[in-house]
Amino acid sequence: MSLFHSAVAGALALTSAAADKQTVAPPPPPYAGVYQPQGVDEIGMWREDDESERKLAASALVIRDEKLNAYVRNVLCETVGADRCRSVRIYIMREPTINASMSPNGTLRIFSGFLLRLRNEAELGAILGHEFGHYEKRHTLNRFKAARSGTDLLAWTALLASMAPSYDARRSYNDLELSVYGSLYRFSRDNEREADFLGISYLNRSLLRPQAAASVFQGLMGEFEASARAKGLKKPNFSKIAFAASHPPDAERAAYLTLLAAPAGASRDNGADRYRGALAPWLPAFLSDQIKLNDFGASEYIINSLAASGWTPTLWMARGDLYRLRGNPRDLVNAAEFYEAAVQLDPTLADAYRGLGLSLIKTGRPSDGQAALRKYLELKPDAADRAFIQMMLPVQGVGQ
Amino acid sequence: MKLFCRRVIAALLLCAVSGIAHAQEKTAVRQGFELKRNSQKKILVFRPAVSVGAQSTGGMFEPNADWTEKSKANIRIALEKFQRQLGNEIVIAPEAYGEDARKVEEYMALFSAISQAVIEYQFFIGNRLPTKKMDNKAGIFDWSLGAGVADLPGAKDANYALFIYNRDAYGSTGRKVLQVLALLGPGIAVQSGEHRGYAGLIDLKTGDLLWLNADSQIGGDVREPDGSEKRVRQLLEDFPGSAIEKEAAK
Amino acid sequence: MRKSSLFALGLIPALLLAVTADAHKLRTSGVSVAVADSGVRVTPTRDWNRLDVKPGKKAETWTLDGTQLNDVTFYGGIEPGNPLVKERSKKREPLPKFTAATLVVEVPELLESTYRAYKGLAAFTVESTAPAKFLGQDGVRFTYFFTDDDQLTRKGEARAAIIKGSLYMVTFDAPRLHYFDHSIADFRALADSAKLN
Repeated sequence: MSLFHSAVAGALALTSAAADKQTVAPPPPPYAGVYQPQGVDEIGMWREDDESERKLAASALVIRDEKLNAYVRNVLCETVGADRCRSVRIYIMREPTINASMSPNGTLRIFSGFLLRLRNEAELGAILGHEFGHYEKRHTLNRFKAARSGTDLLAWTALLASMAPSYDARRSYNDLELSVYGSLYRFSRDNEREADFLGISYLNRSLLRPQAAASVFQGLMGEFEASARAKGLKKPNFSKIAFAASHPPDAERAAYLTLLAAPAGASRDNGADRYRGALAPWLPAFLSDQIKLNDFGASEYIINSLAASGWTPTLWMARGDLYRLRGNPRDLVNAAEFYEAAVQLDPTLADAYRGLGLSLIKTGRPSDGQAALRKYLELKPDAADRAFIQMMLPVQGVGQ
Repeated sequence: MKLFCRRVIAALLLCAVSGIAHAQEKTAVRQGFELKRNSQKKILVFRPAVSVGAQSTGGMFEPNADWTEKSKANIRIALEKFQRQLGNEIVIAPEAYGEDARKVEEYMALFSAISQAVIEYQFFIGNRLPTKKMDNKAGIFDWSLGAGVADLPGAKDANYALFIYNRDAYGSTGRKVLQVLALLGPGIAVQSGEHRGYAGLIDLKTGDLLWLNADSQIGGDVREPDGSEKRVRQLLEDFPGSAIEKEAAK
Repeated sequence: MRKSSLFALGLIPALLLAVTADAHKLRTSGVSVAVADSGVRVTPTRDWNRLDVKPGKKAETWTLDGTQLNDVTFYGGIEPGNPLVKERSKKREPLPKFTAATLVVEVPELLESTYRAYKGLAAFTVESTAPAKFLGQDGVRFTYFFTDDDQLTRKGEARAAIIKGSLYMVTFDAPRLHYFDHSIADFRALADSAKLN
């Protein structure tokens, strides 16, 4: 604990110095310890939650890799402290989307799609700390109570609207739907702000860089823009639309997260190397999960932002797969280049030779392509598609 | 490739079944299956998935732990009582961990998928598959979880397994008023309280589904011992070889 | 973040009135029939059901016990530039396309990517890919498995061929517990019977 003290003292000093305008998040309140649910709603929710955790623990989608689990747990403990950490069970889910959640009984779920998008340990700490903030403040209960009165109102109004089937009535029902949901989201956004606030408090007190919390959202905004651009959609308006409507708009969020972070923390380690090391065994799988979602803009953005710290064979190969699967003629030329770059760096990367071979064959270079495919089978004699690839070898331009 | 979320379809059908009142089949027995009275068979029961709560006006399910606990205990007592009448012994499955727990969950998921397929494609008249229509005429009810069930924890000590799924929501006052208004008005059926129960008997050697009761609008307030008895009575009333008397009216 | 709300549950029955009676059609054993509005004909060796709802313009689904338990989908002549199944939103949720450059050996990746994008899956693995005849042409036979949102792990087997620039394929998906093994022979017999006019 003594290690934390100087950081906390530093944060406190800064807080009082800049108290008037930009408030750095104060240290978290003393941990209240083990909590037991109270009241009908809460006890009921915990029971459901326990049942759902039983199912989750037996789910085929949970990643059970001990090393990865130990690493994520360790980052959580580093962020929120050992006492708080004890009340949490972490489940890493193989799901290619951006999500993390923590439920009232202490079940923390984080999706592989989120791990893929984070760039360092401090960002992971920020997300885990944010989720823990919801838990410590028992937001689920509040959200549940608010949602209940919100849906009650909707059921009534839907009935009234259908009893008077004029266009006006329908329109006012639609308006009401928006406003009722709007208030649900606003309510929930307050929760999100509170959790953000607490999340940064933990980070300010930890050894990790608190500014990472803002960089997570800056990263996500960049990705959503890239995704929209590639689909020919309008640029998302981040001050109006949040990525999951119940969260504070990302632009606003990134801004206030920056203010909450203790400035002295900016010089701290962000643990990027440790994070990359821990994710390395899973990176090819997580990248492949993402690429096959067919969201070209988002995938390209993710690969490029991972490559900011240097292009690796895995990243070149992922980019090759991305372009080859889209499959426009120019994409195939690019794909071949990317695979070339991958095997230059790692001449044992069998799957890159496969992608290279297929791309070359498709761009009218069958003999070069066949040479690459031969290399693929040489490096990976038990390949799942061995028989097929072998059939492609002696004849030119097979497959069409 | 299945394009619709199965859960959505199931929810639609379940609502339709219970919202629009018509004669909907709800139980079936595998051809040739008979369970003699006092046959001294052992029946394995996996953790009954019971969840009880209230339904708010908007239709949101509000779990209630106290009710759930009471209901579980009530249902188990009622089960044991009725099974003694049938001359069979209930064995509660041992708590499973790790790989065993995953296996139990996957079979539970399969049982639930089968129950939904039976409801969607064999019981539900408007959506019945042609081959299931022919099966119905020939008295065939052929569904199975497969012989792999023999490896489930506790399976060696029993002849059959009883899978139970229950979900209850008791309508709040607001919802009951809404229901009355809706009936006066545009003819939208608003449910007050959702009561779903599936019970299935599985042969632990072959995995065959011997008997299924899949009722999406079932009676009995499982918060009370009497109500639980009624629920179990309804779930088991068509149980093969059953001496349990049917309720005159549901 | 991704919580589904059960709002307005009471209104759902109204939607249901749209369901018509006798929607599905019998496919009788021994009777040759055209599938997926294409030149493909099959002669089933047992009775099957053809579902009323089509997953795409050039696709149709057959089942024995319900799509949860066994699902055969025919893709009849997908032309370059088209996805395998109908997109929910062309703009916002585009599906991967079959292209003029797609090789037969890449068809498993196309199916994988379609399933993943449509269902938001991560757990999907292509197990094997081997050359095989389909519709009398050189094609591919492949196997795969994936875990669905109902927590059941399903196994799949498919055959495909690219003929005159269009993709022809038939897939079989079923839970790995019991149902896959139980009906795989029926599926193979059905796939073997497929002919292109």
